[in-house]
Amino acid sequence: MKRMICIVMFAASVHAETPEQFFDLANQAYQQGMFAEAIEKYEMILQSGLVSGELYYNLGNAYYKAGNIGKAILNYERARRMLPNDDDVLHNLQLVNLMIADRIEPLPRVFLWDWWDGITSWFSMNGITWTMYGVFLLTLVAGAAFMLAPTYALRRAAFIGVMVGVILFVGMLSVFLGKLGDLQRSDIAIVTADVATLKNSPDPKSTDAFVLHSGVKVFITDKVKGWLKVRLADGKVAWIEQNTCEVI
Amino acid sequence: MRGVHILFLLCLWGAVSHAQEPSLEASVDKNPVAIDDQFTLSFVLTNAGMSGGKNLKLPNLEKFHVMMGPSTSTSMQIINGAVSSSVTYSYVLQPKEIGTFTIGSASIDIGNKTYTSAPITIEVVKGSPQANQPKGRQGVSGDLDAQLSENLFLRASVDKTRALQGEQIILTFKLYTRVAVQNYNLNKTPTMTGFWSEDIEMPKQVQLTTETVNGKQYQVGVIKRMALFPTQPGTLEIGPMEITTLVTVRDRRSWDPFDAFFSDPFGRQIEYVVKSEPLRIKVDPLPVGAPVSFKGAVGRFTLNVKADRLEAKTNEPISVKVTIAGTGNIKVLESPAIEFPKDFEQYTPKVSDAINRREGKINGSKTFEYILIPRYPGKKVIKPVEFSYFDLGKREYITLRSDEIAFIIEQGAPAAAPFVAATPRTDVQLLSQDVRFIKLSKPAFRRRGEFLHTSPVFVALTLLPLAGIAGVFVYTRRRQEEMRDVVGYRTRQAIKVAKRGLKAAEALLKEILSGKDGSSEKKLQFYAEVAKALWKYVGDKFNIQQADLSIETAVNELHKRAVDGEIAASLRSVLELCEMARFAPTSLSLDTLQKTYDDANKIIVDLERTLKKS
Repeated sequence: MKRMICIVMFAASVHAETPEQFFDLANQAYQQGMFAEAIEKYEMILQSGLVSGELYYNLGNAYYKAGNIGKAILNYERARRMLPNDDDVLHNLQLVNLMIADRIEPLPRVFLWDWWDGITSWFSMNGITWTMYGVFLLTLVAGAAFMLAPTYALRRAAFIGVMVGVILFVGMLSVFLGKLGDLQRSDIAIVTADVATLKNSPDPKSTDAFVLHSGVKVFITDKVKGWLKVRLADGKVAWIEQNTCEVI
Repeated sequence: MRGVHILFLLCLWGAVSHAQEPSLEASVDKNPVAIDDQFTLSFVLTNAGMSGGKNLKLPNLEKFHVMMGPSTSTSMQIINGAVSSSVTYSYVLQPKEIGTFTIGSASIDIGNKTYTSAPITIEVVKGSPQANQPKGRQGVSGDLDAQLSENLFLRASVDKTRALQGEQIILTFKLYTRVAVQNYNLNKTPTMTGFWSEDIEMPKQVQLTTETVNGKQYQVGVIKRMALFPTQPGTLEIGPMEITTLVTVRDRRSWDPFDAFFSDPFGRQIEYVVKSEPLRIKVDPLPVGAPVSFKGAVGRFTLNVKADRLEAKTNEPISVKVTIAGTGNIKVLESPAIEFPKDFEQYTPKVSDAINRREGKINGSKTFEYILIPRYPGKKVIKPVEFSYFDLGKREYITLRSDEIAFIIEQGAPAAAPFVAATPRTDVQLLSQDVRFIKLSKPAFRRRGEFLHTSPVFVALTLLPLAGIAGVFVYTRRRQEEMRDVVGYRTRQAIKVAKRGLKAAEALLKEILSGKDGSSEKKLQFYAEVAKALWKYVGDKFNIQQADLSIETAVNELHKRAVDGEIAASLRSVLELCEMARFAPTSLSLDTLQKTYDDANKIIVDLERTLKKS
């Protein structure tokens, strides 16, 4: 019977041609409590080179249910990059962050940064792209109107429209570029090993700096073969072995 | 105390200059010794002098349990000015096995010299059960004491010496006697730390039975029985129990029954104290893997959860009884965790137990009665109550589960509280926190590292409007250039206007010239069209009503606008020609037709150009 199921599963995995069907299979495994299997399926979709916020979110959930906090946070963080406004993603990320064994007090930030983060996280990547495209089109229309307007009053209105459009476009462009940079930045990592001992220099014989547990976010500042120099949110700096953490 | 002695010794040292040679002697207080008896091994160091002995090395004592020691005592004697001092190191030992053993030499350093004791041979014999040296005997001579100790003793026994934590152990105190015991009194109850104990009820009158110990018949009476439940793992000790007996003795040397016949039937009564031996129980911890609801219950139990009613009105109390019944450590049971509906008011439970101590096993029941007051109507549920115990028979944890209890609470009369103005409101209670559920909607997959703004469609969508605006730019640019060439532009525009107005006339002219239809009617039509086009143009241009139109008004209008007189004249001649043609169409040659058309055309073009200019 078990073998039958295996065969059926295998058959299913072979015939599930679209990633959407594969995603549904993984979801079913999750709903039946077979989290390890769900994780495997979600990861296979990722391996095929496809990504989506929902996929990362579900994978994070599966890892959480399987008891792997580090991987759960890693995937929630990835999901948040793609779905910055999704309430579920933020809720789960916040909840699982509470389970990190280490308490790290972040350094205070300039409030402007928080504003900026608020603005950038308001848009999704596609959202900002389309909004920018809309502003772009309207600016072009205003420009065309400016050139074609038969009367002076119309020309003036069109000119104001163009100016507003350009200012808006530049603002959007900076948000867009900021988001693009955030999306492509590869200097944030999550500790995925249960326990990681950080060293004062990139050498296993070096003195221990401190110990981190899975789920902690670190910022990579330097790289030496197999080792990453990382900074914690509270400003501490040490070297961590590359295989104990994973870049978001 | 020892210090004082030494000080005293020190004082005398100066006065008494000479001393005897030191020696170390070993001794035991009894030999032979019974296997279950304790004895004292003493090393007496005499005349050690001021510095005393150092570094006492004990012989090998592995055949014995060292129960106590070393204890040190110092004594000093002065006889006829000769001072002798002695230090005694004593150890209380108990043999481990029967046989003859040699206790080797002990050694001690005094100054630079080492003194050794002579070895001792000790014989360990099979002991007869006997009470420890009874204390506090009254009027019992040594001889009688020895006799009594053989004939009257108290023995503690357990049904098992190794038990699991929480497992019931029966502890029995039996009085063995071959003398007439009139009465007895409990002096000291046994101490037992680490146990929860429960007395088992005994009949008022001690039932005597007969038992043979070491070939002797004894009357045996069970004087106390207890059920013990160890509450902690490890080796636990049950302390001795001491009772005072009132014994009738006859002054005889022998306890031979034949002698008894001749002896004084009325002996005298003496008080004799007997004491039981302490016992050791090894308690093993319970196996690992206890369920969450396990709180230490060991034995065999049943669980019953019952509410006195399932339908109630708000503010009416409901009683829920949780009863755990069975065999085992009932008294130490705790209430199982119960999840009551959150909006039930709940009071601390009333706990009552009924324990049956008569049988060999402690059994009974423990009841927790909860009083609940529903405050809100609706269907409320008490989730199944879980209670776990360790089953000694099956050697495993067993979890009992009660059924779910569902209440139907109806809105009763409002709480009889005139003070309550509004329903008390509580915050929504977060019962548990978990991650939110996965997303089942169809995900928007994209290739890793691929973005909307780099997709070909989006690039095309961006470039197209750009191309559009570039087109608009080029178009306006060209128009501007044309605008600079004003005359050329006006001419082109005027020609267009004229062409539009004279379209019908032109068509007719072509027809006539091609010779298809050269009839006078066609010519008439041609002139009518030319006139109509001119009139329409002039009327539209100068905003003149159709009714007011005449050659005069048109020419006047042209003058008013300072139009070249030549154009006005031309207009007049063409219009007059058209009117004339209507009356004599045949007189007009084909050349005239062409000229009229050209003139009309020229008039409109010229007018357009000059009027635009102003």
